[in-house]
Amino acid sequence: MFKFYKTLLTLALLWGSVGWAWAQYTVTGKVTDERTGEPLIGASILLQGTTTGTITDLDGGFSITIPTNEGTRLIFSSIGYLTQNVDVAPGVSILNIQLKQDATNLEEVVVTGLATSVKRSNLANAVTSVSSKELLGTTTIQTTDGALYGKVPGATIRSNGGAPGGGISIQLRGISSLTGASQPLIIVDGVYISNASQRTGRASVTGAGGSNQDDGSNRLADINPADIETIEILKGPSAAAIYGTRANAGVIIITTKRGQEGRTTVSLSQDIGFAQPLRLLGVDDWSEEKINFFFPEARRPLELERFRAAQASGTFVDYEDFFYNNQATLLNTRLNVSGGNEKTKFFVSGNITNEDGTVRNTGFDRYSIRANIDHKITNGIRLGVSSNYIRSNTDRGFTGNQNNTGASIGYSIAYVPNYFDLRRNADGTYPVNPYFSENPVAVTDNAVNNSLVNRFIQSFTLDVDLLKTNNSFLKAQISGGLDYLQNSTLIYLPEFLQFQRGQANPGDIFKGNQESFNTNFQAALVYNWNLGSVNMNTSAGLVRLDFENSSIFNRGRGLVPGQTNLQQAAIQEINSEFNSKIQDAGIFAQQEVNWEDKIIGTVGIRWDKSTLNGDPNKFYSFPRASVAFNLANFDFWNVGFMNQLKPRVAYGETAGPVNFGATFTPLGGTNIGGLLGSVVSTQIGNTLILPETARELEFGVDAGFFNNRLSVEATYYIKSTQNNIQNLNLSPSTGVNTTPSNEAELENRGIELSISGTPIESANFRWFSRVMFWKNDLLMTRLGIPTYIAGAFGSGLGTFLYAEGYSPTTIVGSPANADNPGGFTFWGDAQPDFNMSFYNTLSLFKGLELSFLIDWKKGGDNINLTSFLTDGGGTTNGWFDDDNGDGIPNGRQRPPAPHNNAGRWVQDASFVKIREIGLYYTVPRTTLNSWFSNTVQNLKVGTSVNNAFLFTDYQGYDPETSTFGAQAIANNVDIAPYPTPRRVFFHLTIDF
Amino acid sequence: MKNVKKYFASALITAAVLASCNPLQLDDVQDPNNPSVGSVANDATPQQIQFLITGLESRHRGYVTNISQAWNTFGREIWYLNASDPRFQTDWLGQNGRVPDRSYFGFGSTGGGSWASPYQAIKQADVLILAAQNTNLIPETSKSAVNGFAKTIQGYQLMIPANFVYENGIRVDVADPLNPGPFVPYAQALDVIKGILDAGDADLAAAGSGNFPFTLTRGFAGFNTIAGLRQVNRAITARLNAYRKDWQGVLSALDQSFMNLGGPLQLGPSHPYGAAPDIFNPLFYIPDAAINTIIVVHPSVLDDATPGDLRVQNKFFERTTPVTVTTDAGALVGTHQDARWASNTVSIPFIRNEELILLKAEAHANLNQPALAVEAINIIRNAAGIGDYTGATTTEALIDEILYQRRYSLWAEPWGHRWIDARRYGKLSEIPTSYDGGAIFTQFPHPQAELNWDEYSGN
Repeated sequence: MFKFYKTLLTLALLWGSVGWAWAQYTVTGKVTDERTGEPLIGASILLQGTTTGTITDLDGGFSITIPTNEGTRLIFSSIGYLTQNVDVAPGVSILNIQLKQDATNLEEVVVTGLATSVKRSNLANAVTSVSSKELLGTTTIQTTDGALYGKVPGATIRSNGGAPGGGISIQLRGISSLTGASQPLIIVDGVYISNASQRTGRASVTGAGGSNQDDGSNRLADINPADIETIEILKGPSAAAIYGTRANAGVIIITTKRGQEGRTTVSLSQDIGFAQPLRLLGVDDWSEEKINFFFPEARRPLELERFRAAQASGTFVDYEDFFYNNQATLLNTRLNVSGGNEKTKFFVSGNITNEDGTVRNTGFDRYSIRANIDHKITNGIRLGVSSNYIRSNTDRGFTGNQNNTGASIGYSIAYVPNYFDLRRNADGTYPVNPYFSENPVAVTDNAVNNSLVNRFIQSFTLDVDLLKTNNSFLKAQISGGLDYLQNSTLIYLPEFLQFQRGQANPGDIFKGNQESFNTNFQAALVYNWNLGSVNMNTSAGLVRLDFENSSIFNRGRGLVPGQTNLQQAAIQEINSEFNSKIQDAGIFAQQEVNWEDKIIGTVGIRWDKSTLNGDPNKFYSFPRASVAFNLANFDFWNVGFMNQLKPRVAYGETAGPVNFGATFTPLGGTNIGGLLGSVVSTQIGNTLILPETARELEFGVDAGFFNNRLSVEATYYIKSTQNNIQNLNLSPSTGVNTTPSNEAELENRGIELSISGTPIESANFRWFSRVMFWKNDLLMTRLGIPTYIAGAFGSGLGTFLYAEGYSPTTIVGSPANADNPGGFTFWGDAQPDFNMSFYNTLSLFKGLELSFLIDWKKGGDNINLTSFLTDGGGTTNGWFDDDNGDGIPNGRQRPPAPHNNAGRWVQDASFVKIREIGLYYTVPRTTLNSWFSNTVQNLKVGTSVNNAFLFTDYQGYDPETSTFGAQAIANNVDIAPYPTPRRVFFHLTIDF
Repeated sequence: MKNVKKYFASALITAAVLASCNPLQLDDVQDPNNPSVGSVANDATPQQIQFLITGLESRHRGYVTNISQAWNTFGREIWYLNASDPRFQTDWLGQNGRVPDRSYFGFGSTGGGSWASPYQAIKQADVLILAAQNTNLIPETSKSAVNGFAKTIQGYQLMIPANFVYENGIRVDVADPLNPGPFVPYAQALDVIKGILDAGDADLAAAGSGNFPFTLTRGFAGFNTIAGLRQVNRAITARLNAYRKDWQGVLSALDQSFMNLGGPLQLGPSHPYGAAPDIFNPLFYIPDAAINTIIVVHPSVLDDATPGDLRVQNKFFERTTPVTVTTDAGALVGTHQDARWASNTVSIPFIRNEELILLKAEAHANLNQPALAVEAINIIRNAAGIGDYTGATTTEALIDEILYQRRYSLWAEPWGHRWIDARRYGKLSEIPTSYDGGAIFTQFPHPQAELNWDEYSGN
C-alpha cells in the first residue's frame, strides 16, 4: 500500500509538471536521517492539500516547485520515519530536513479496506503489523506462523509438536467457532491461500484415528518467510468486516517484498545451524525390586534374566535419548535480486531450506522461487504481478498417537524398560519388542511418512487512473490471483516390521493425492476527494472467490518386499475420494473521512453470499464503523511531553463459513460380499443452515510520549458470535446421529496492551524495548442444545464441557458428579490466564545488534496423556519413587486421590520461553570498500538461537503440543509428541 | 482530457466483460460425492432398490465388532487385550470400581456399535421399505419380498439395543428422526419385535415362492429364496421367543426355521467379509502374531472345559508366547487365541443350527419335557465328542447343562450369549471376576445422546 502512495506521488509530480503556472517558486534541499546523518533516498515531499509532490534522489536531494506565490506547507515522509510538516513561503529556497526514525511505527501504512489503506497514526483499530525485520530479524524460523510468537497481542499461537515443516495454529482473540480450527483467513499479495492442515494418512495407517491425528503441516509452511515484507493482522470483526464471510477468526494479510527503483542489488544469505531437543524428561531406571513389583509373577523370571544380562554387559538404553537426542543440520540459502527503473521494478528470490529433524530420517526441504514485477504500462495504468512456485518435501516420522500398530516412537518406548535392547542386530534384523507390538527402531529406520507439495501462487493487480484533478482522483483497481496446491503423501510400513509380520497381509502403503485450486477476483473503484479541509476516500467493488478441492487416497496391503507401487500389493483399496466446490461472491462499499488528521472516521459494508449456506443466493450484510480522534493534532493541545493521544472505537460484523456438505443428506457407498450398496448417512443435512456471524466492539487508546520515544497502545474488545454451528445430536434410536445447528453463541472479551519505546538513543547505543500483554476470556453465552461433553479421549482421560455459562475450553472428566453440568468433575481450563512478551534490541556502536524475545504464557491446562502412557509402562522418570512412603510407587498413584480419575492427567501448561536471541554485526561500509573495493555493498554476520530456553513445571517435552493438530477446542492434548527443537544458527549475508 | 476519455472507455469495456461473466452469479452446487437420500424417495428404480438392500446387509453387520469384543468381555467369554488403550481392560472389565455411564468408553454418547449401529440398520430398512412402497417400477410381490426381508433384519437388530440396556427399555417407534417415540420396557419391546418379525414373515409369505427377487450376498447362500428367508425369520423369532420365555413359541418357530437335528451345526446365514473394497473379518488374528491387541480366551473358559471337548480343540489356539498387557489395574495374560477363522475373509454366522438345537433343548427343559431336552443336548454333546448327558434331569439341572453347553457351542459369537443367558436366568453372579478383579455389569444406561434429545425436544 506504501507503493500505492508512492506511485501516486510520482504520478502527481508528472501530472503537475504538465501545467506550468505563472505564479510559482522552487524549494530545493536534502533529506537525511537525524541520528546517523545518512541521506534518505526516495523520501516523499507532498504539497499539503494537493496531489502534487516529488521524491528525493540517490543523494537525498529534492527540488519542488510551488505553483502559487503564497506560503504553504510541505509534508516530508519516508518509510520507517516520522512525517514532518514544514511551512514554506516565497523566499525560502533551500530546506534541509532531518527525519527521525519511527520507532513506534506511527507512519506505516495499514490496510483498512479492500482497496484502501491508512497510516497507523490515523488508524481506529488495533491492527498489528509485523515487519520483515521483526519477523526474521533476530533468527531464522522455518515457517511464517512460527515467527509470529510474541509479536501479536491477542494471538494464541500453538505449535502442534516439534516435527520439521510446521504445524502451528493461530487463534486471534479467542475462538469464534466450535467446529474446525477457528483459524484466520490468510491473504498473500491479494491471494486467498490455503492454510489447510492436509491429511497424510499417518493416523489411518498407525491406527491413531481420524486425519486430525496425522500431525500434518498447515500449508502456510510453504510460504518462504524471508520473502515477506510485512504482515498485517486484523484480529477481529471490527477490523476485518470488509472481508465478510470468511473473516470471523481474523485475517492475516501478508505482503511480499517488491523491487525498488535504483541500483540492482544482489543479496546472498546463508544460514548454517543445528537443532537439538529443547527439553527431554529422562526415563526411569529399573531394579529387581521394581521388576518384582511391576510384572505378573509368571513373567518375572524372564524379566529378571534380561535385567541381569543388561547389568552384566552394562547395556542400558535411554530410549528418549536414543530416538530424540540427535543433532540435526539446518541449512538455509537465499538469493535475492531486486531493482528497477522508473517504468519497471522487480524482486526475484530463490530460497532453499534444508533442515533435518532431531529424529533420524525426518526433515523439511523447501525450494521456493518468486518473481514480483511492477510495471507502468502507461502513466495511468500500472500492473503488478507476483509469481511464486514452491516445492516442499517433508518427512515427519512416526510420533504421536497410534493404536495396535506400535508405529509411534513415543507410544512404543513408553512401555520398553531400559534393560532391553531394541537396537538393530548385526545381521540387519531387529529384535522383537516383547513389551509392545512394534520395534520403533525398525520403524524409524525403514518406515516413511512423506508429504511432497508442489504449489504455485500467482497474483496480479491492475491500477488504472481514471480521473485526476488537483484535489481528487478516481482509480480502478482490478486484482486477483490463484493458489494451486498439489500434495502427494506417502505412508509406508514395510512388510518385515514386527506388527506387519503379525498381519494377514504384511506391509502397508498409503498414498494420497490432494489438489486444491483457489481463485479470487476483485474489482474496485476508489475516489479520493477533498471537501474543504476534509479528505474523503470512497471505495466500492465486488469480490468473487472460488475454491475447488479434490483428494484421493489409496492403500495397499500385503506388499512385495521393498516395493512401494500400489500394484505390488495383494490388497488394493481406494481408501477415500472426496471432492468439493465452493463459490462465494460479495459486494462492498466503504467511506473514509479524514479531517486534517484530527478526526478519522470510516463506515463500510459488505454483502456476501456463498454456496455453502442453506440459501446460496441470500446476501448477508456485514457493516462496520470506526472513528479515531488524534487529540494531539488539535490546536488546543498543549501537553508537551505527549505528542500523540488517540482514543478510538470501532465496530464490525463478519461471518464464518458453513462446512461443505452441511446441507446434504447423502446415500453413502459401501461394498459387501462383492456387491455395491447405498447406506443412509448418519447425518441429516440442514438446508436452512446459516453462516456463523460475529460482531465486535473495540475501544482503545494510542498514546505517544517524548516525541514518540515511548508509545502505548491499549485495546479492549468484546467479540460475540451468533449462529455458531455445532452438531445437534439427534436421538440415535432414529438411526441418524446428528444434524448441523445454528444454536450456539460465544463471547470473547479481552485486553491487549503494548508499550514500546527507545529508552536510550545515542550515536553509539540505541535500545529499543517492547512489552506486550494480552488476555482473553471466552464464554459460551448460549448453547441452545443440551449440555454435552466432547473432544480428546472421553471423560475417563479428560474431555471438554459445552455448557451455557462456561468456556468450552473447560476440561472435565471422571469421576462422575451429577451436580455439575455435563455430569463430571471440573479439572481445568485450556485457556491461558494471560500472555506476555518482552522484546529488546540493542544497537551498539556502528553495526552491532543484539535482540531477544521472551514469551510468557500464564495458565492454561493440558491433558497430558504421555504421562498416562509412561506411567502405564513404568518408564516415567521417577516412577518407582515413593514420595508418601506408603509402599505404592508414585507412578501408580498420581494425584489427586483416589488415583483413578481424569484429573491425574490435567496439568498446568504455563511456560516462559526465550523464543529468539540474535547477535549480528554489520561490517562498516568503509571497511567493506577497503576489502572489496565497492563490489560488496553490505556484509552482515551473526549468530542466533530459536527456542533457546524453556522454563516450565509441565511434565512434558513442551507445554505447546496438540495431538489433534489445529482445533478450536481440544488443541492441548499431549500424546507422545515429536520433541520441540532448539535451533542454533550462524548467519552470513552479502549484498552486491 | 483525452487520456481521461480513453480510461473511461476502457473502464466501460471492463464493465461489459464483467457483466458477461457475472462474478456475482453462483453455480448450483450439488453433492459431488454421493447421491441423496431424497433420490430414492419416489420412483426408485430396481437398481436403486438393489443398492438399498445391499446397504441393509452392510448396516446389518455394523454391530459385530463392538458386540464381539465388549459383550463377550462382559460375559467373560474373552478378554479383549489392547495394550494401546488400557480402557478396553479397565473399563470393560469394571476394574477399580468402574461402572457404565452414559458415555462409557467404547460406546460414546450414542452407544456406538451396541446402540447407534443397530438403529442405523433399522433406519436403512425403513428407507428401503419406503422406497419400495413409493415406486411402480417393481412388482407387488417384489415389494412384499423386500418388506419381509427388511422387517426380518429389523427384528434381529432391535434385540441388540434391547439387550444392551435391558430393563431401561428402548424406543421402538423410530421412523421419524425428529419425533421418536417413548422408551418402552424390555418385555414390551420384545413383544413389539415379535410383531415386526411376524409381519416380516407374513410379507415374505405374500411374496409367493421361488428366489428372492433381488441379489443377496453369499452370506445368505442357501437362504436366498422366499422360503429360505422365512426360515431365517423364524430362527430369529425362536431366539426372541426364548428371551420372551414363550417356550411353546420357541418350538413352533423352530419348526418353521432351518433347524436340522441331523444337519451340520454350522448351517445358517452369515455376515460376509472380504478384501477391499469390502472389510476383513474383524475377529481374525494371525496365530502367534507378536502383537498386543488381540481377543484371547478367558481363562475361566479353559479352566471349566470338559476334557476332550472338540470345541475347545477347534476354537482355541494355544500361543507359544502369551500376550501380557499391563494397566494401572494390574496385568492380564492371554494364553489362547480365537481359532475359529481360517482367514480374514471368512464369513461370521449370525444364527446357526447349533443354537437352534440348543434353543429346542432349552424350550423342552422349561416345558418340563426332560427327555426331549436331553435328546437335543446329546446332539450337541456328541458332536463335541464328550458323550451323552448323564446328569440329573430336573429343569434346573438341565438349564445348567444347557447354559454350560451354550458357553462352548456359542463361544464368543457376535451376540454376547453368555452375558445375556446368565442375566435371563439370574446367574450373573456366577460369572467369575477373580481372574481380573473386575465386576459384572447388569445393563447399560441410555446413551447420553438419547437424554440430550429428550431434553432438547422437551419430551
